[in-house]
Amino acid sequence: MADKQLDATIAAAAFQKQWFANLRRRVFDERQPYALLQADVPFELFDLVDVPAVSNQWWAAMVAAKRQAPAYLDAMAADGHHDGLCRYCSLGYASTRYRDVQEPPWGGLPTPRLLCARLTCDCIHRVFSLWAETFGSELIEIDNPGASDLPPRWWELSRYRWRELVEPHRLAFAVATLERLVERLQTISGRRLEQDALRDRIERVNQQEEVFDAVRGLIASAPEAPVRMTEQISNVMATQWVRGSDWALSHARAFHDEVRQRVESGIAACPGERARLMWVGAGLWHDTDFYTAFEASHRAVFVWSMYLAFGPDGYIRYGLDDPMAALASRSASFNEYLHNPPWAAEWIVQQARDHRIDGALVFRPRSMKSAATGRLFIERALEEAGVPVIPIEADVVDPRGWDAAAARAAVRSFLDTRVLS
Amino acid sequence: MTTNAIATLTNAFEGTFTTTDRAADRNVVVVSWPSVPIEIIRASGLRPFFARGSAVATPAADEHLEADIFPSRLRGLVDATLTGRLSHAARIVVPRTSDPDYKCFLYLREFVRLGTAPALPPTLLFDLLQSQGTDVRSYNAARTHALFEELSTIGGHEPSFDDLRHEIVQTNAARAAARRLAAQRRGAPRVAGSEVFPLLGAFWRMAPEDYAALAGKAADEIERRSPLTGPRVLLAGAPVDTPALHAAIESRGAIVVAEVGPWGSGAAGDDVICGDDPITALSEKYRADAIGPRTPANAIRASIASALDQVDAVVVSLPPDDTAFGWDYPALRGLLETRRIPHTCLHGDPYQPLSPSDSERIDALLDAAVARTEVLHG
Repeated sequence: MADKQLDATIAAAAFQKQWFANLRRRVFDERQPYALLQADVPFELFDLVDVPAVSNQWWAAMVAAKRQAPAYLDAMAADGHHDGLCRYCSLGYASTRYRDVQEPPWGGLPTPRLLCARLTCDCIHRVFSLWAETFGSELIEIDNPGASDLPPRWWELSRYRWRELVEPHRLAFAVATLERLVERLQTISGRRLEQDALRDRIERVNQQEEVFDAVRGLIASAPEAPVRMTEQISNVMATQWVRGSDWALSHARAFHDEVRQRVESGIAACPGERARLMWVGAGLWHDTDFYTAFEASHRAVFVWSMYLAFGPDGYIRYGLDDPMAALASRSASFNEYLHNPPWAAEWIVQQARDHRIDGALVFRPRSMKSAATGRLFIERALEEAGVPVIPIEADVVDPRGWDAAAARAAVRSFLDTRVLS
Repeated sequence: MTTNAIATLTNAFEGTFTTTDRAADRNVVVVSWPSVPIEIIRASGLRPFFARGSAVATPAADEHLEADIFPSRLRGLVDATLTGRLSHAARIVVPRTSDPDYKCFLYLREFVRLGTAPALPPTLLFDLLQSQGTDVRSYNAARTHALFEELSTIGGHEPSFDDLRHEIVQTNAARAAARRLAAQRRGAPRVAGSEVFPLLGAFWRMAPEDYAALAGKAADEIERRSPLTGPRVLLAGAPVDTPALHAAIESRGAIVVAEVGPWGSGAAGDDVICGDDPITALSEKYRADAIGPRTPANAIRASIASALDQVDAVVVSLPPDDTAFGWDYPALRGLLETRRIPHTCLHGDPYQPLSPSDSERIDALLDAAVARTEVLHG
């Protein structure tokens, strides 16, 4: 694994490890409730009633990064689940259901008081039902209406005109379901969620994302990228799971300051940068070294992923007279913005322009079928915008079948023939 | 006459959308999956055409649709839109009852925005939710009402709720006829699955009064037949919209007596109980009966469990585009093992010829089913 270039990255990793240890202590020693959530559930609601929340996707990435995914996925296959089923969303379940096959990272997930998921992809209901059944825990599902109004340049509306982004009937439904969720959380925790507290939290999330917006601007405009994409992700996601908290805000500012210092000092992630790359899609968590593999050979550096860029464009909400509606408007179309036409392609092309991208690697997930939709539109739009594209077929968490050497060779060829030629 | 009834129903099931009669096409609403109320479409003076898959190549669609995600019916629908074959239809309606359907809706809208499909009729999303949340019922009723209002404006006939009630009554008669047909599969079956599946599926493709008459005549004939012999098979897993797997299984001497999905025995379901509010009655009916990957797992499980008393073996179809039903498999396997009912899983695309390995699995399954039947019956 490449050395960390930023102190903030080391601090973020240390925070997450400590946070998880504290969670286990709270759950085991103090018998406090916690929740397991899909990444697109509003974490703020849980934190505000003092129910800490663990992200399914974060946990899956952790298991994958520790190289533990194959044993769990083999066990899942041996139990009769076919190879075409989504592994990213189910690896956490597998690490619980088949926990006897190996010791999970950091002692494993304790039993949650509840699980909660938005029903985006077709598999979510089933994966979370099985997971909740395995734990013997409560499951709260948030249904996910489909979008019919499609403003292509959604990020231009999302901050101030967010009500225009979500049709009124969808927004009303999303608010109603979040209110039901809050009622249940209040019963579980014995704490009330006050509207002012929610408004204050969203304002603090806004502040955090404004800091990330500034970081994004620094990365986009600096002569050479000051921070690797992998370190962007580490810093951003460590804060996103506890967004709006004191630590998150403080860490976001420290990250920003360190990046700004590097820019002002002319420090580049890959000095002599010749090619700026973007990674389109979820992270390749089982092989993050892939993202630094072309620096030495081609001075090609990954500059952009959705993880930093989506925070400012997807999360910031101004005009908080109805904070629950603002919160609901944020998550109502997460998947659509990130994957599907017209939203994803328009946004990614704009990001490519803003970041002076020379080449795009578009992830073709093998088992995450819902996240795999829309990529042909994205690939075509990027090419039409003058950004060469190479598709990378892999699984987010499953290294079985991933030929690391062949993938690297293909990218080197892509750089030689289409990006640097 | 009755043979004609069976042939007419089969032809209706197998028919494809064509544009030979453009004036007639202007009254057609193309629907991607049977989870959209036909009563509303018909009350608006329109005719539904429900898409089905086929083995025909879809080169235009393949340029835009990712592999192994969209089932054959959606690839065919997109191919038809991109090549102008649906250009004279009144509307395309896509229900939210699967993620591929929803994504297909987004793609179709994008084709229009990008100018890729120059003559695409307006496309609607019927946002029917299937979870059991407390707010879902009212949401679905509102979306059903929105569909009613949208279609009301285009059929040249603005329907009243009484018109809608009339269609519900007519369609309930068709449902009763379909249930009578499906009953011929229970106990000692008198009709092969590959023959009756199209007759049941024609429920979605014909005017209900025509269907009721023809299905009644078909049932009359089938009732006079002798019972068929052979292991009785339930087809579970991802719903099929073709009798191809039925035929493959039955060519080996078995009888497919039930399947999970909206095209076969599940086509009609129970009657719509109308009352004062036909819209809510329809939205509740279609939420409860819509079978697809977003159908709650416990509903699918209950549907399968209720069929097991009548079967000797179960075939579980888990094609390459499956994202949901595979999750149900270990629990289903446990249930079948408890009941000592042999089963097998098939992983091929139902529209492609059986792979050698799937063929071997069916052969082995039917051997096990015969052996089980011999033990049970001495």
